[in-house]
Amino acid sequence: MNRRLYIKSVFGLAVAGTASFSIFKWVSINRAIVPADLVHKRDLLAELAELIIPQTDTPGAKAAMVQDYIITVMLNCTPAKEQNKFIDGIAELEDYTAAQYGKAFLKCSPSERKAVLKHMAKNSSGYSYKILNKINNKLFGKPFFLKLRELTVDGYCQSQLGATQGLAYDYIPHTFEACIPLLKNQKSWATK
Amino acid sequence: MYISDKNKQLNTYDAIVIGSGISGGWAAMELCKKGMKTLLLERGRDVKHIVDYPTATLNPWDFKAGLNNTMKDREIDPVQSTAYSPADKHFYVSDAEHPYIQEKPFNWYRGYQVGGRSLTWGRQCYRLSDLDFEANHQDGFGVDWPIRYKDLEQWYSYAESFIGVSGNRENLKQLPDGEFLTPMELNCIEKHLGDSIRKHDEHRLLTIARVANLTRGWDHRGPCQNRNLCNRGCPFGGYFSSNSSTIPAAMATGNLTLRPFSIVTEILFDEQQQKAKGVRVIDTLSNEVYEFYAKIVFVNASTIATAGLLLNSVSSRFPDGFGNGSGQLGHNLMDHHSSAGAYGVHEGYTEQYYKGRRPCGFLIPRYRNLQHDKSLDFKRGYNIQGHGERQEWMDKAQSIDGFGEDFKAQLTTPGPWTIWMAGWGECLPYFDNKVSLDNSRKDKWGQPLLKIDFSFRENEHKMMTDIQHTCGEMFEKAGFKNIDTFNYNKPGGSTIHEMGTARMGHDPKTSVLNKFNQMHEAKNVFITDGSCMTSSACQNPSLTYMALTARASQFAYEQLKKGDL
Repeated sequence: MNRRLYIKSVFGLAVAGTASFSIFKWVSINRAIVPADLVHKRDLLAELAELIIPQTDTPGAKAAMVQDYIITVMLNCTPAKEQNKFIDGIAELEDYTAAQYGKAFLKCSPSERKAVLKHMAKNSSGYSYKILNKINNKLFGKPFFLKLRELTVDGYCQSQLGATQGLAYDYIPHTFEACIPLLKNQKSWATK
Repeated sequence: MYISDKNKQLNTYDAIVIGSGISGGWAAMELCKKGMKTLLLERGRDVKHIVDYPTATLNPWDFKAGLNNTMKDREIDPVQSTAYSPADKHFYVSDAEHPYIQEKPFNWYRGYQVGGRSLTWGRQCYRLSDLDFEANHQDGFGVDWPIRYKDLEQWYSYAESFIGVSGNRENLKQLPDGEFLTPMELNCIEKHLGDSIRKHDEHRLLTIARVANLTRGWDHRGPCQNRNLCNRGCPFGGYFSSNSSTIPAAMATGNLTLRPFSIVTEILFDEQQQKAKGVRVIDTLSNEVYEFYAKIVFVNASTIATAGLLLNSVSSRFPDGFGNGSGQLGHNLMDHHSSAGAYGVHEGYTEQYYKGRRPCGFLIPRYRNLQHDKSLDFKRGYNIQGHGERQEWMDKAQSIDGFGEDFKAQLTTPGPWTIWMAGWGECLPYFDNKVSLDNSRKDKWGQPLLKIDFSFRENEHKMMTDIQHTCGEMFEKAGFKNIDTFNYNKPGGSTIHEMGTARMGHDPKTSVLNKFNQMHEAKNVFITDGSCMTSSACQNPSLTYMALTARASQFAYEQLKKGDL
């Protein structure tokens, strides 16, 4: 085979290879998810959310029932590919935990749990390569850790415990005070 | 259709108003106050003030999936769902039930209910000036407005005095002052930007938005409670809507008949009299067809729907649509663009905060082409609207690293001061930006679908570039960091300021309406919604619709009394 033809054929193979891989990936991330897959992970999600927003002098994510919010939004308000990315992320986390510690995540110690979530948070820094991230998120959905954290934040800050104790909630302000001194330990307003 | 004399009498009014949104509510109130028996027709359901605001007092946690729309919402309502949330979805139509054809991308946001989009409007109230009324005449785009500021001045005052507008007098030629209630207050970062702007440019200033939110009790309503949940309907009556204000006032006269679930499909032409005799209506509950008759008809169905209704009203006198001898009906569609602007962060004022949620932002009135400026590569101008705030959890979450106690501490404390602002820009009247009917495709009531063919052109795009540039510059001079100038490139319709499809003008050959919003070719038909606009200016237009409506109502009433209609 002459060189030119060789290069052409290798190139052709490579193209065929990536194309078929992409199609496979495309199909798999757009498959319909089984809701039970997520509902069964309720306790796991509660612990993960609690790692992200733990109980301190104010309630944490678990007390605010953020796990239910995550499941509701995932099942009803999230496109299929992001759902799959999320389910795959849970599976990856469980596999990693099993390989690393030989037990299920819920059986791990607090420090082991933290290490697992740290591992999952790697490679998903939210703001370097803004444009690349945007494109990647658009095509394949947000990385698991970022999606989990986003849902945890939304769920917590809009929950009754989160809004009224973790943050400052002003149900009916009556007046608008445009410029007032920031108080010591001032919490952010829960709503805009 | 055969109607007995008795029924005809039962179905006859002094006036018919089509549409109960901002301008239709005003028309109904004015005509009723003049003692005319008025039928107000609304295609959607009734929405009673306070009673029908189911989400008005809900907390964030009362929404089980937060303010996220479901995938099903996004599928059924691809356009409306980009504007609504579970908190106000009930004030938007379903796209699936009310389809329209986009020849180019165009977001047509609609609220088919009593009150229309007055429930969800932005509440900004700005007067047009002679800079705007003379613009077409000066540069030759479109036709000349048949009115000037002096024709509308007293009517602006009349409208403002009735609805209650909070704002600050600034003594600007391009943005005349109005009758204002105490203004809302700027916060410290907005004042900082305002001081910097005033220092650097004598032609620019930053003022608090002029809004139909009440800073004191007014006409048995308000005051505004600074909840900033206006789009859900206000249980305190803190802002103006047809539901809270004009419709109750019309009802109180005893002269109003409000008929919801009534789609007007046609305006009926009386060949002998050479004017309108009434309207044909489909009752959406019974699917029965009715006719109603009146001496005058006000068309306030909203810019695009009004054009569709008139185009659908054909007769031997008007084969191309009611009152369309000029061929302009449905053409010259405009919408402001509001895609371009800038965002900036400021490191100062860290010890300052605020309490309450002011339901408006600030305004930098128009500063471009106040006189024709040869150095600019576009015509007309824009104003800047924006708001300053400290970053809260929803803004910060993305940019805090990691998780755990530190993450939580940062998440729940106020971040730096930021300002977001964008330019609301004038759109020129282009003949081929248009609304038309597709008679081959029908909705579920057998009515032809509306086609919208609209795009922004070179003048608007050049203006957007200038907006990005001047916004970025104002931030730089005021010491902001991380300045991000943006252009969202939203399609037409996104600002929800559609106008121009039945324009006013001097000449029946080139316009649909005269200087009193009266149809050139059918003297007892008046159009005072956005379709009457001869140019778009850059101000939020609703206040102008209210003033024009009050003025046209007075004129119609006088003409009727004189026996000229």
